[in-house]
Amino acid sequence: MVMPRQPLGHNMEARRTDLAIPRSIEAANRTARRVGIALVGPALGLIIAINILPAFYGFYSSLRKVFFFRDDGFIGLQNYVELFQSPLTWQAIGRSLTFTFGSLALAVPLALLVALGVRQLGARGRLLLTVLLVPWAMSPIVVALLWKWILLPSPGGLAASILAVVGLPPANLLSDPSFAMPTIIVVGVWRTFAFASIILIAGLGQIPADLYRAAAVDGLGVIERFRKITLPLLAPSLLIVLSMLTISYFNEVQIIIGLTSGGPIHRTTTLGFLLYQTGFVELNQGRGNAIAIMMFLINLLLITGYVKLLGDKTRSEA
Amino acid sequence: MTSRIPLNRRTIVKMAGASAALPFLNGTAIGQSATGLPASSVRIWTFLSAEGKSPREVVLKRIIDRFKVANPRVSVAVESQPFQELETKFVAASAQRRAPDLIFMRDTYLSLVVSRNVLVDLNEVLSADFKRAAIPDMYEVFVRKSVYEGKLYSLPLWPSPAQTIFYRKDALREIGLEKPPLSWKEFVPAAGKLTKGDRLGFGLPTSDNSVSAFINMMTGFGPNIFDPATGQIDLTGGQALETADTVRALVKNKALSKTLLNAMGDDIQDQFAAGRFAMAQAFTPRFQQYKSIAAGYNSNELAISPWPSFGDRPPAALLGPYWTVGLSAQSENKAAAAAFLEALYSPEASMEWAKTAGLVPDRRSVMSDSWFKQPEALTIAQFVAILSSPGAMVFPQKLPDVTKLFTVLNGALQELIGTDEAAKAILGRAKVSLGW
Repeated sequence: MVMPRQPLGHNMEARRTDLAIPRSIEAANRTARRVGIALVGPALGLIIAINILPAFYGFYSSLRKVFFFRDDGFIGLQNYVELFQSPLTWQAIGRSLTFTFGSLALAVPLALLVALGVRQLGARGRLLLTVLLVPWAMSPIVVALLWKWILLPSPGGLAASILAVVGLPPANLLSDPSFAMPTIIVVGVWRTFAFASIILIAGLGQIPADLYRAAAVDGLGVIERFRKITLPLLAPSLLIVLSMLTISYFNEVQIIIGLTSGGPIHRTTTLGFLLYQTGFVELNQGRGNAIAIMMFLINLLLITGYVKLLGDKTRSEA
Repeated sequence: MTSRIPLNRRTIVKMAGASAALPFLNGTAIGQSATGLPASSVRIWTFLSAEGKSPREVVLKRIIDRFKVANPRVSVAVESQPFQELETKFVAASAQRRAPDLIFMRDTYLSLVVSRNVLVDLNEVLSADFKRAAIPDMYEVFVRKSVYEGKLYSLPLWPSPAQTIFYRKDALREIGLEKPPLSWKEFVPAAGKLTKGDRLGFGLPTSDNSVSAFINMMTGFGPNIFDPATGQIDLTGGQALETADTVRALVKNKALSKTLLNAMGDDIQDQFAAGRFAMAQAFTPRFQQYKSIAAGYNSNELAISPWPSFGDRPPAALLGPYWTVGLSAQSENKAAAAAFLEALYSPEASMEWAKTAGLVPDRRSVMSDSWFKQPEALTIAQFVAILSSPGAMVFPQKLPDVTKLFTVLNGALQELIGTDEAAKAILGRAKVSLGW
């Protein structure tokens, strides 16, 4: 049987289609890449211009003697050597870590409690969260001024007036070397914990409700459900919260400037405040940049630690 | 007898013609006499606001308004800046070629600003009349500090004893005194007696970037506290240690409180106004303002005193930091800026600074005005007496490590007040921090 000859053009058409498919996919990929670059490019350009280049320039300046806007030349690592030789630097690193971890210890459980409460309360919870978010929306320096007035230990201060009503003397929290740091930790947490709650609420929303129902059938109590379901599945959100709050607390300076100016007796002089003091008050801009580089490296170290700790845990549980 | 102009047709035509010509004549007259200056603008950086709320701002606004009437083609813009950042921002702005025409600076920072070559030699821009009449009429002790190698870089504004002791006469009367004792030996026990209930005997700022209560106390030893060659203070020497002992004595008798470890100058002054102290260190040019906001006592009871001295020296007055005004080397409107600068120091302005803001007039000659003999000028007379007293002194023209000095010494003062550590160790650390 002679098969009817297919027209020559048909084969060629098929071959052309076979070849055309990969080509068109490649072209589509190319187009997608171009669109991606076009969309991300401007943002990337801005980040390079605003963050990356100044960071490099900051490092360059940290190797130079720059005082009151005059560059007196390259001095190598002298700014770093002098910083590490000063006991004030080591004390400031210690206080930065105290402020950071003290705040985290208070803010994360508080944010988690609020997140769980908000989910339980439904619409009323969301209203509560909106109210709690007000401090976060306020400028840190406004928060500092507000708390300065609240804590003013003389006639006119809110806390002093309340204490006076019950016959108690005013508390000098900001000028007492033992209480100044805990006080600024409380103010810092008051400003930020509600924002952390939002992230955790989003994380809680992604945990399947079936898991809780199954656990209840298996007879798991509330604490066990929290420990075995909520906490592990919330780890990615907790990682984000911990990273964001760590950076925020470690770099905090406006509340410290507004409330204690690094005092009393340097008790709230963190690295961030030392940077402000050195770079903006003493106008030693070279050394100020050296402190900034140091802060960046410590931040990087802390975040890497979190990723290693929580990231590994999340992967192993997955 | 009254004269009458006959109102006939010719008179009416003449009047109409004159009326029509008047605006042109007027314009010409103003254009030629009052606006010798071409159309331009003068930008001023100061800590004052142009809105005219505090007494000094009210006067500044009046001076600007008067200047604008006399120079309608020149606009004046006041751009308020935080007072502690004026010099820094000015030098930064100069590097970016966007500096204002006129800049208010603290005298303690003048040498740093001059070293950056951003100010013009005022001898080149001020009018001959002003140089002849006004500059010799100002207080020489302040003007001299603005001269570097024969060049005049700024003009001092509001000559005053800067940081003095504000006190409440009513509180001092309680212990049988009319005014604070003028030697530390007597001052310390008196300040202790003034502490009563919630009120403290003495308030000192301990956290400030531009004033140091420790230096103010040390001025009781006279101008030799500053090394004539270096401008440094011997922080571990006998005078500094005696000052430290005096601080500790004030803490011991409860005149000074550990609750003030973070107090800035503004905090002390606000709390003084609220009645927390019987005596406190305060910025003298704000005296009038503090009379108006006095809440914890009758404002008529507010008075000022120079600082006590050590030994049998005269009472001390450190005339600084004070404000001084310079003209940017980059200004494109130097003539207009110089004209406005001159307006700030006119005899009229001096009278207004005195009458409205209670400040010592920049022009000494206006003190002959009969107003200064009236009771409301009594405080100014006190200021002038302190300015002219044998214990009056200024900071060295080049104060070494000025950006760091006040912070370091305030840190040391906090440690003296708040700890029991040996004064020599605390001051030794301050010395090392300054690299002295």
